Amino acid sequence: MKKRPAWIVSLVTWPIVLLIAFPLLWMLITSIKPAAELFSTSPTLLPKAITFEHYARVLQDTPFLQYFANSMILATSTTVVVISISVLGAYSLVRFAYPGRETLASLVLFTYLLPSVVLISPLYLMLVSIGLANTLASLVIAYTSFALPYALWLLRSFMAGIPQDLESAAMVDGASRMGAFIDVVLPQALPGIISTALFTFILAWNEYLYALVLVNSDEARPLTTGVMTMLISAFNIEWSLLMAASVLMSVPLIIIFAFFQRHLTSGFGAGGVKG
Amino acid sequence: MGDLMDPGRPPLASSISRRTALGVLAGTGAAAILSGCGSSDNRTTLRWWSPQAAPDQLKSYKARIAAFEAANPTIRVVFEPTSDEGYPAQFAAAFAAKQLPNIVTHLPSFAAQNYYAEGLLEPVDDVIKVIGTTQFLNGTNDIYRTADNQHCALAIGNTAVDMLWYRKDLLQAAGIAAPPKTWDELRRACQAMQKPGLYGAALPYGMNAMTSLIFIGFIHRAGGQIFTPDLGVAIDSQPTYDPLEFYRSMREFCPAGASNFSWGESLTAFVSGATATGIYGGRVLANVAAQNPAIAGAISCTVYPTMSAAIPAWTFNDFPCLMIPKGAPHLAETKAFAAALYQPEFYIQQLHAAPGHVLPVLKSVPTDPRYQANTLIARYPAEIDLMTRTAATGHNLGQETAKHRPNLKANEIIASNAIAELVQRVVLNNEAPKPAVAATAKRLVELMRA
Amino acid sequence: MPDIALQRSGLSRERRDALLGLLLIAPTVLVLGAVIVYPLLSAIALSFQSVYTPTLEGHWVGLANYRELLGSGGFWAALLTTAIWTVGTLTLQILIGVAMALLLHQNIIFRSLARSLVLFPYFLSTVVAVLVWRWLFNDLYGIVNHGLMAAGIIDAPVNWLGAMPNAMLSIMVVGAWKFFPFVVIAVLARLQTIPEALYEAARIDGAGPISRFFDVTLPQLREVLTIVILLRTVWDFKEFDLIYLMTGGGPVNGTRTLPLIVYQQAFGLNQMGMAAAYAVSMMLVMLVFMLAYLQRARKAAA
Repeated sequence: MKKRPAWIVSLVTWPIVLLIAFPLLWMLITSIKPAAELFSTSPTLLPKAITFEHYARVLQDTPFLQYFANSMILATSTTVVVISISVLGAYSLVRFAYPGRETLASLVLFTYLLPSVVLISPLYLMLVSIGLANTLASLVIAYTSFALPYALWLLRSFMAGIPQDLESAAMVDGASRMGAFIDVVLPQALPGIISTALFTFILAWNEYLYALVLVNSDEARPLTTGVMTMLISAFNIEWSLLMAASVLMSVPLIIIFAFFQRHLTSGFGAGGVKG
Repeated sequence: MGDLMDPGRPPLASSISRRTALGVLAGTGAAAILSGCGSSDNRTTLRWWSPQAAPDQLKSYKARIAAFEAANPTIRVVFEPTSDEGYPAQFAAAFAAKQLPNIVTHLPSFAAQNYYAEGLLEPVDDVIKVIGTTQFLNGTNDIYRTADNQHCALAIGNTAVDMLWYRKDLLQAAGIAAPPKTWDELRRACQAMQKPGLYGAALPYGMNAMTSLIFIGFIHRAGGQIFTPDLGVAIDSQPTYDPLEFYRSMREFCPAGASNFSWGESLTAFVSGATATGIYGGRVLANVAAQNPAIAGAISCTVYPTMSAAIPAWTFNDFPCLMIPKGAPHLAETKAFAAALYQPEFYIQQLHAAPGHVLPVLKSVPTDPRYQANTLIARYPAEIDLMTRTAATGHNLGQETAKHRPNLKANEIIASNAIAELVQRVVLNNEAPKPAVAATAKRLVELMRA
Repeated sequence: MPDIALQRSGLSRERRDALLGLLLIAPTVLVLGAVIVYPLLSAIALSFQSVYTPTLEGHWVGLANYRELLGSGGFWAALLTTAIWTVGTLTLQILIGVAMALLLHQNIIFRSLARSLVLFPYFLSTVVAVLVWRWLFNDLYGIVNHGLMAAGIIDAPVNWLGAMPNAMLSIMVVGAWKFFPFVVIAVLARLQTIPEALYEAARIDGAGPISRFFDVTLPQLREVLTIVILLRTVWDFKEFDLIYLMTGGGPVNGTRTLPLIVYQQAFGLNQMGMAAAYAVSMMLVMLVFMLAYLQRARKAAA
């Protein structure tokens, strides 16, 4: 195709891109404005003065760091549990023949689309009755209910794309089936596994509903519900604090996004679209 | 940043060994799980919930906890904030999960009666005895008396929740000599003061507990009631239609976002100077001092106006109380800690953290020089005095007047948002008051029966 | 080359293989059974009971929950609200998503940075997105009202989240902002595989850019859009966080979609059985929709 000059399209595209990015930019700006500027009747686009006091207060005066640690443990544990199970499961689904395999695959698709609210009451009852309510473990279990089908779905399409030749060659050379899996399949599937792991991590990091229902103590409360309880206090609404907390809460996502974008987009291709 | 969707290049720099990467992934995960399980000492942990958790209040709680832990080295107390709007759901979950807090403070009195009736609370008569029955202001704990002649909770403070806060400077600029006493005067004052960038009032119209609780006050200030003294539904009557009309007519003097206001938004609207009047408790004083000291000299409060001068004022006292959930472990330690909250030194510290908002329930405190030695209490003596007196004669849905039987369903009525919904239907959806009230009355009957 | 020794032991090897396959899938099956199948079945069982949440005591009530639900009108109103929200936000997502993908497919300056900025909202936590947008929409201090007033478009602050239809439109916009990158990624990936020759041929036939889009690009995107629409419909239909946190279902019940009712029933009104009945009904609606949609898509493709 004969390309139009870059600057014409850029002139159209970039304002739209900036408009889309504006809410995030505004979050950043609000978080470094002195609180007094927020209530001004004619707010300025750029802060008149820059302050980091809101960040200091979020970190020192609120349980933010505890929530952050909880979210980290929660998202990492969920990812490890889900990836270990789903790598084996996905491999089994794409490489082995046994009765019920197809049914299982469609069940995975079905659960991939199942609304969380359907499971919320019974999962709640179940976790209460086994005495796990109000712990991070209960959230890991609950998160498995949406993250595992998702991870299986993604990994299945990643693994289906790995040619079988190398694996067969390894087995002809005397490797056992599991030996070939570890030495040949896993390394090849690694990009897919990383991508799936990142998605699982992000899903768990951002989850809200289960955390709202299953946890009512600060010791196990993750960031999503923790930051929201900071908003709905009856004695004050501090937007600068909330914006600072929002920025801090997004830091891990920004890091993931900056260093692993390609994995994220390839995950999209495999799980969301190629299906 | 690399090009996001360039399909050609390999996704991972091939220099990293893939097995190494897998190992690292597994390792960090295991470490995270382990670190999650560790760290618990062998002290007894008491969990303390309260929705009153502003930074200064947290500081006073921490001081109390530190002193208590020093005196009782085997006990650890953990404070956790809950929310005025969210506590019913949080409680439901906690009771169901048997993951109960040991002690809960500053919830409205009707919550205590409600939970006690469901068998979810421990009677607190021991605690009252330890503090001294006669130490409390006369009659303060009466509303916690239960059908089986125990106490389901004890008072920890009073709060005059729905005072009319106003700006003396703005009233004067509008040529109004005295703060309004009737609804007509209030509406005229709001109209006179409102101008671009300044609203007359900060009434809540949100689907939440604040709207329900505040509007109940308006029904009483029109001479009505939600329930008869025998707890028959009394809402379907003229003294409910009138305040609905009035509340609707006030909408134009409230900020656009008032349809979503709850406590925090309503308070901040007045404190930030966006509205000329506000409806709140004494917390206004501390927040103005901290966030908008420029108006500190211009604010004052009075009892909220009534429909006509002939109708007596009615003030909503939350009766913030202390309760002990049944089935939480370490009952004896919990009761000891509960009583410790009332030791004058620390009790006054708690009151000072929200001057004029949480008002004393112990007889000796109002005249205690230690209590009076607070900048805000010293600066606004008339306001503090008025709120103290008004709160003491206040009421709430748990017992609408002295003649009423305690309403054990009040908590669920507020949690159902039935009354807030009535307000929204009439004010926001412009429905006729009569049929909307009839529907609400039916809903209340169902809630009472459930 | 067929190996004779391998072929001879083939049968036992196949069986061993199947066994290994089952072994590998076993953890998946166990976990899915515990966290999905069992809770799903108990949700259905729960919907025939009346359960008081704080005590978890309940008894069977047969079809009473469903009778109340279908008879009250609340369910149908919420279903309509859910449908309006889904169709509205999805339409915005698709339109913005396809348009943005077309633009980002062009050769623009700092293209990768532009793509990153556009995609990021999808990965952002809904909680953060909601906080940011509630701050933008704030009536007294929000930049949206300030901006519109400064531009002279409005002369008093607009109530974005507390009045209808503003509240519904606002959450549709926020939903579109949060989720349109999904469409961008899917469409962009597909755009990169459309053979250049198709465009050349169209150009030789004298087609302008607009007819090239409708005659060449759109038919090529058909398949990917079919799947994107299906997935996004399902996900938007069941969206809880965004709506609950933006409006809480208000004003009145203006934005109270089915997932919000489920939560309200279970933990606001303490009616766990009724909540389950709502949840199960909602799932059935989704199933019917999905089957009908797939049927049509299959017919259209044939």
